[in-house]
Amino acid sequence: MSEEMLKLTIDKFTFRVPKGLYFNDAGAWVRLEGSVARLGLSDFAQQRSGDMAFAEVKPVETLLKPGDEFASIETIKVNVILPSPVTGVIAEINHALEDAPELINQDPYGEGWLVVVELTDWDNDTSRLLDAEAYYALIKRQAEEEMKKK
Amino acid sequence: MSKVVIVPCSGIGKSYGTVAREGAYVVTEDLRPDTTQRVPLSLLVLGDEQAHADVVGAPSITIDGCKLACATKMVTESGGTVAHDPSAPLRASLAVLDVYRRHRDLKPAGIAELNEGGQKLAQALAEEVVTLVDALSTADSLPLSQNDGGGAGDGGQNA
Repeated sequence: MSEEMLKLTIDKFTFRVPKGLYFNDAGAWVRLEGSVARLGLSDFAQQRSGDMAFAEVKPVETLLKPGDEFASIETIKVNVILPSPVTGVIAEINHALEDAPELINQDPYGEGWLVVVELTDWDNDTSRLLDAEAYYALIKRQAEEEMKKK
Repeated sequence: MSKVVIVPCSGIGKSYGTVAREGAYVVTEDLRPDTTQRVPLSLLVLGDEQAHADVVGAPSITIDGCKLACATKMVTESGGTVAHDPSAPLRASLAVLDVYRRHRDLKPAGIAELNEGGQKLAQALAEEVVTLVDALSTADSLPLSQNDGGGAGDGGQNA
């Protein structure tokens, strides 16, 4: 899938933020696809977390509201619980991640997607989410703060 | 037959690298001292002549601590051969992360000193390496791939 990208380069790292997607501040992305939304982990969040060892998502038919856990990942660096950015019901999960969680590292906005959610309150969800430009500004601040610590 | 060369991640500052290095020690000092030799990655990086001669002269098994796969890349860039049998589950580049996925109860932690999980993971890793060593030691000939950096990651970087 070809999407226009914002690109942030800090030191030797480049982080991609597709225009048209929405994000929460935990790094979950939302791609609206009609009445459903596909969710995943942003390029910044996956690079910051490190190589994926395991990725687990909540099962189909799980009810979600913003902030509810919808996935958890374990990497060589951290264990992360991902809060849902949307309200709805999980309609589909990415079974490929069971055998190949590294897809999240390799293709975070494509093959590494996590779940598809049937949306039930999108108008309110969008009011809480960041657009690409706002998320870009957020990760720029976070990356620069981390660089100062080095 | 010359000894199988074991080249682990240099294991500096990361738990998974330390597991790679500890696993290599278990193989070369405890489990198969007569059929293996360990070549430090740092010597290859520094251009040590003997280290280069060792990897050029024998099949190598590389153990990578992360997807940068430095051990595999350095062996191939040094003109060495990472043993590789494409028809069987015998790949001689191992990634610690893949071994951990097979032993999720053995979460490694610590750097200078591994926790119990890390030590057991190093032992499990060593046993997988020994399987490869024994296959290499008994096979008349195995296909060798000079440019095979696969099986250990995609070469990306992590922040």
